[in-house]
Amino acid sequence: MKTKPHIIGIGLLLVIVFGLLSWRVFYLQYCRADTYLAQSYEGTHAHVPDLPQRGRIMDSRGRVLAASNKVLTVFIDPSQLPHWDDVMETACLLQPILEIPAPNICDIVHEKIRLSYVPIKTGITEQERRAIRQARLKGVGIESKWERYIPMEQLTSHIVGFIGGADDPSSPDKVGLAGIERRYDSLLRGSKGQRVLIVDARRFPIGSDPQRTVEVKNGSSLVLTIDGTIQEFARSALIKQYADYQAESAIAIVMNPWNGAILALVSLPDYNPSEFSKADPDTMRNRALTDPFEPGSIFKPIVAAIALDGGFVGYDEQIYCENGNYAKYRIGEWAGHSFGNLTPKEILTQSSNIGMAKIGQKMGRKNLYEGLRMFGFGARTGIDLPAENPGLLKPTADWSSYTVTRIPYGHEINVTTIQIIRAFAILANGGSPVMPHLVRSVTDEKGVVEQMAKKSNLAGQLIKPEVAHWVVREALTNVVKEGTGQQAALEKWEAFGKTGTANIAVNGQYDTTNYTASFVGGAPAKNPAVVVLVSIRKPNKALGKGYSGGRVAAPVFREIMQNTLTYIEKNQL
Amino acid sequence: MLLREGFRLIGRIASGKVAYSIEAAVLVLMAMGTVFVFSAGADVSSNYDFHHFYEFTTLKQLMFFPLAVMVMYIASRVDHRRFSFSRNGPFKSFSVWMLGLAVVLLVCVLLFGVEKNESRRWLLVPLGPATVSFQPSELAKWSMIFFLAAFLDYFSDTIKRFWKRFVPVCLVAGVVVGLIVGQDFGTAAFIAMLTFMMLLIGGASWWHFFVPVAAAAPVFFVAVYSSPYRLNRLKAFFNPEMVSSDVRYQASQSLIAISSGRMWGEGLGMGVSKYRHLPEDTTDFIFSIICEEAGFAGGLFVIVLFASLVVMGLVVAVRCRDRFGRLLAAGITLTISIQAAINIGVVTVVLPTKGIPLPFISAGGTSMLLSAAAAGVLVNIARQTADVPQQLRRELIRSVTQAAENETQLPSLHRPIRHRRRHHVHRESSAHAKLVSSSTQNHPSN
Repeated sequence: MKTKPHIIGIGLLLVIVFGLLSWRVFYLQYCRADTYLAQSYEGTHAHVPDLPQRGRIMDSRGRVLAASNKVLTVFIDPSQLPHWDDVMETACLLQPILEIPAPNICDIVHEKIRLSYVPIKTGITEQERRAIRQARLKGVGIESKWERYIPMEQLTSHIVGFIGGADDPSSPDKVGLAGIERRYDSLLRGSKGQRVLIVDARRFPIGSDPQRTVEVKNGSSLVLTIDGTIQEFARSALIKQYADYQAESAIAIVMNPWNGAILALVSLPDYNPSEFSKADPDTMRNRALTDPFEPGSIFKPIVAAIALDGGFVGYDEQIYCENGNYAKYRIGEWAGHSFGNLTPKEILTQSSNIGMAKIGQKMGRKNLYEGLRMFGFGARTGIDLPAENPGLLKPTADWSSYTVTRIPYGHEINVTTIQIIRAFAILANGGSPVMPHLVRSVTDEKGVVEQMAKKSNLAGQLIKPEVAHWVVREALTNVVKEGTGQQAALEKWEAFGKTGTANIAVNGQYDTTNYTASFVGGAPAKNPAVVVLVSIRKPNKALGKGYSGGRVAAPVFREIMQNTLTYIEKNQL
Repeated sequence: MLLREGFRLIGRIASGKVAYSIEAAVLVLMAMGTVFVFSAGADVSSNYDFHHFYEFTTLKQLMFFPLAVMVMYIASRVDHRRFSFSRNGPFKSFSVWMLGLAVVLLVCVLLFGVEKNESRRWLLVPLGPATVSFQPSELAKWSMIFFLAAFLDYFSDTIKRFWKRFVPVCLVAGVVVGLIVGQDFGTAAFIAMLTFMMLLIGGASWWHFFVPVAAAAPVFFVAVYSSPYRLNRLKAFFNPEMVSSDVRYQASQSLIAISSGRMWGEGLGMGVSKYRHLPEDTTDFIFSIICEEAGFAGGLFVIVLFASLVVMGLVVAVRCRDRFGRLLAAGITLTISIQAAINIGVVTVVLPTKGIPLPFISAGGTSMLLSAAAAGVLVNIARQTADVPQQLRRELIRSVTQAAENETQLPSLHRPIRHRRRHHVHRESSAHAKLVSSSTQNHPSN
């Protein structure tokens, strides 16, 4: 029989077929190896963003002002539970773990049955998380998120600020929107990581791909110069007066005059940063930076110091104060006072407008302008908070013939309170420039210091130390002792300071109802530990309790000063 | 010329070595299968519960590997001629009983089988604590090969008769194929194909095939068009962009798995397709997993092993001196290698998707044990062939001494002689009849 040729023929054919199949496999694995790469990667890999922990913000004594904690949320994905029985079974299994009655869970799911994400309980504990993981429940997931806590809430609202959704709605990341959170967002934020998981067809993870994984880097933490205790002193003192006088707004700043570190900064009205979305936008402004105003009499010591430093006025020079009516320039004194000849010290003590106007005239436009520029008016101080307003110091070309007489007593110039307190810090420390700042140091997540705040350059001098000392120790202590600021006097320490009661221009006209009552000063006069500014805008004159700086602001100054110095002394800071 | 040199090279392989190389190839294939089924079945996300030991494909396969080796060894020790009709007549032959059992089991599976994917392919047999599943269609496939070899050997002289020989064979095959076709179209078509191939080798006239092909063609089309599932698979193959991704999914996942293996593979156990991306990864699509984890090197190794099985098996067939052994060796070799070729073709998306496992490698107890048994029979044939010169010499010496004593004729050389053969006389006479008829007529069956 002819079986052999058939067998050999079929055998040859089969060997050829196997050869062709080998070629096919080679073609797929060598020539077309990259064709399915993208498809394969997509199907087998999942990218899980690893969100960094945002850095903490702490006060100078390590109290937490803002911190991010991990919050775990249990959710049910109803799309994975096609039958209602499955939902009920899952709910029954969740009941003992979460201690939520199963019918309640079912109700929650029932309401959102069409969604794929139904949160059941937020903020579960680690034990609960482990129990749920071990139970391997179908359709149940745990989501972890960072949540920002601001434990001191209103106390530091304008300093710390808050974080929120970015302008780009596609990005779920939160960014700093106000305060330190905004200014130092890039430092605090850290960098996002990414875990690359290998998943099965149901997209359950099997393993991870360490080569493609990007390590998360948590944000750096900030230690502020703010002291929560002093902040509390400042706020409680200010808020009392603010309420009593039904004022429109109020500011209190406590600063270390030697380096410009801000120990407390309160701006009223304030808001709760944890619920910033509900807050009135008007309360969210940090008025110490954003609202320039005509400072009034608190500006006088600065101009006087510049005049004395430039030798335009002598310490004992008698200046004729026109008996209360400088008609040529249409200037009067406050509360209808009339003065004859006054020395610069008396001018400051009595807060004579005419005396200051004359000093301004003696200096001339150029010297006055340059002196104020030197003190930083009309320019941002560079404080590390967003939205600072530079104020307004008009160039001399734009000055009218009155301007040179108005600026010395704090009109026709717009300044922010932060500029004023910096000027007083310069006077208090003997004439060296300082930079107002809020961050003492930057640390990593473990608290190791990465970066210190730049040291202020105390070597430079804006004015001669003797001028600064004279203004502080001679003139401004006298204001407290026997002048307009007697309510600012302290029991144990010698305070210095200057009152200010500035008119507020409404529609280009000053009226007799709206004032800004201010007091700036420091203590102890010999070696000032702190300078404090209190400025209360529009105290309600109709209450009949007064509206002047000496009456409204000075008591606040005294309370803050008294508490702060006691605290500093006790803790030997 | 090259072909002739190749044949000469193959011709030089000692017959004894052929048997060992077949054993070795099968063992390596089964070992590879066990390793890769274990790898493909590994599921890192689930917890093993050893009370359900038998339900885990991977563990089951670990158990079947030594069992299969044992079965192969036993089968290689059983004389393959027990399956032929010429020894004790058709009704005392193993082949007929095996085929009968297969038909009974096929009927059983239609009645009591478990339904999976809308078809009944498995019988569940409770065996102690475990339930063993059994696939009668596998048994039917092998029984058909054995039956055909025996039939074509027994009726070799009259095989060219259409009504007397060809039609009965086709009817038997038709019954078997008909019982399977509704449940497992791929296996049924495969059995039909093997039947025709065996008939062709066995010497049936080629124009006889027109009749069953003409009869089968409408059945084939009805089968394809009656099942939207089957039709979709065919459509998916012929125009991939027209059909839904669901249908294409398996094929595209297979291509992804193969191509991501590249030349040297991702490493054993390192593939990701097995995590539910590729359906049927331990059974029909195990070759994709091999290609993914062992690369082209691994895939080529498997193909080369199957190709060498073809060569070795057919060398055994060609060298085998008895007609039954030759037909059986050819049938076993063709069944294994064609099945492998179809499976690899499906996996590499050269052929439309069909549920045919890769012999020795795919997970599945029935297929593995029966393939091992068949390989054992092949080894036995190889051994007998290898033994022939020695055996013949002994026979010759004995016959010569007998002839000297009895002065009888020498026995014919082309058939090894057994002393207990009862039908010796009948066989002799039929051979004579054939000799006579061929001398008088050129084509007796015409």
